[in-house]
Amino acid sequence: MLLLLFYLGDVMYAMKCKKIREVVPLVKLKEVAHTPDFLAGIFNYRGVVVPVIDLRMLVQSRPCEMRLSTRIIIVDYLKEDGTPFVVGLMAERVTETVKRPENAFASQGLDVEGAPYLGGFLMENHEMIQYMDLDMLQESFRFLPMIGGGHNVPEKDRITA
Amino acid sequence: MAREERCWKRIGVWGKEEPRCPLLEEVIHCRNCELFTRAGRNLLERELPAQYGDEWGRVLLKEKSEEPLGSFPVVTFRVGKEWLALPAGIFSEIIDRVPFHTVPHRRSDVLLGVVNVHGEIQICVSLKHLLGLEDEPHRDEDPGKSQDRMMVVEKDGDVWVFPVEEIHGIHRVRPDLFQNLPVTLSKSKAAFTRDIFEWESGHVALLDDEFLFYNLKRSLQ
Repeated sequence: MLLLLFYLGDVMYAMKCKKIREVVPLVKLKEVAHTPDFLAGIFNYRGVVVPVIDLRMLVQSRPCEMRLSTRIIIVDYLKEDGTPFVVGLMAERVTETVKRPENAFASQGLDVEGAPYLGGFLMENHEMIQYMDLDMLQESFRFLPMIGGGHNVPEKDRITA
Repeated sequence: MAREERCWKRIGVWGKEEPRCPLLEEVIHCRNCELFTRAGRNLLERELPAQYGDEWGRVLLKEKSEEPLGSFPVVTFRVGKEWLALPAGIFSEIIDRVPFHTVPHRRSDVLLGVVNVHGEIQICVSLKHLLGLEDEPHRDEDPGKSQDRMMVVEKDGDVWVFPVEEIHGIHRVRPDLFQNLPVTLSKSKAAFTRDIFEWESGHVALLDDEFLFYNLKRSLQ
């Protein structure tokens, strides 16, 4: 499987590339008031409004450094009702991908209640790379109306396809 | 980065100072060296230039223009005065022209010899002779300006190296713009040509790679 490597601060992480649509440069984001601080903002991605999550803010409570290597990873998700939506994940030093076998993450990670999306570790040149699970990550931004599948909307008002 | 740290300019492949970098024995070229990679990464650790976000924002709000359906990439190159093309998928790389070594007792017009590509011996063949293209009168060109290249092509697990006079690059072609082969085309060339497409006020012959490599293999057996 192909893994995308990135950093949050000094810690290296990896995520599977299967759901990633593309990696784009850090564009100017529009801030949205009264949203959690890890929602960096929204931007117009090819005609679609895409929310951007600051992964470092989510994991380490500090914003990503504004550098050239800080990029937005565009990920394809599915809502609960099966409709697709797109989320941008901002991370630092997004410059490399590696190919590893499916079972490369042999060592189990810790079960952290606050961060279920952080998984096992991959050993690479004496460095430990932590795996980030994109499916579990989806749970962290359920508050976004465009993501949650409209579960705050009363049953009778929901638009059914 | 401090000047003395840029070792690749001093004792590496872009420098002439002695003694040479001991790591070169192992990595062959500086671009394989961890130090060089790290220096390159550092370039990306710069602060965002002003306007950077705005500029990219404008690029990204446009919908991606999709290539018309069915178009595929080809590499266009020149042999003699003929512009030819092959599907880009079979290309491994383009290298600078390097000398080939003839093989004793096996010299034919098509088989030029063997050539060293990254330490591996590959077969070097002449497209000109295989296709029966005319020889061009010798050009008096400044060797420094020469655009001679070698194409390294991999087909069905076999690697072939073709010297060519010029490579234009990758070009997308649409099958609906293909034209019929002119009847005046010489017989041998017509057999190898799959389609003809127009490009920069000229015509490029897209070679039939299946047929080409089938014949190559046969002619060398």
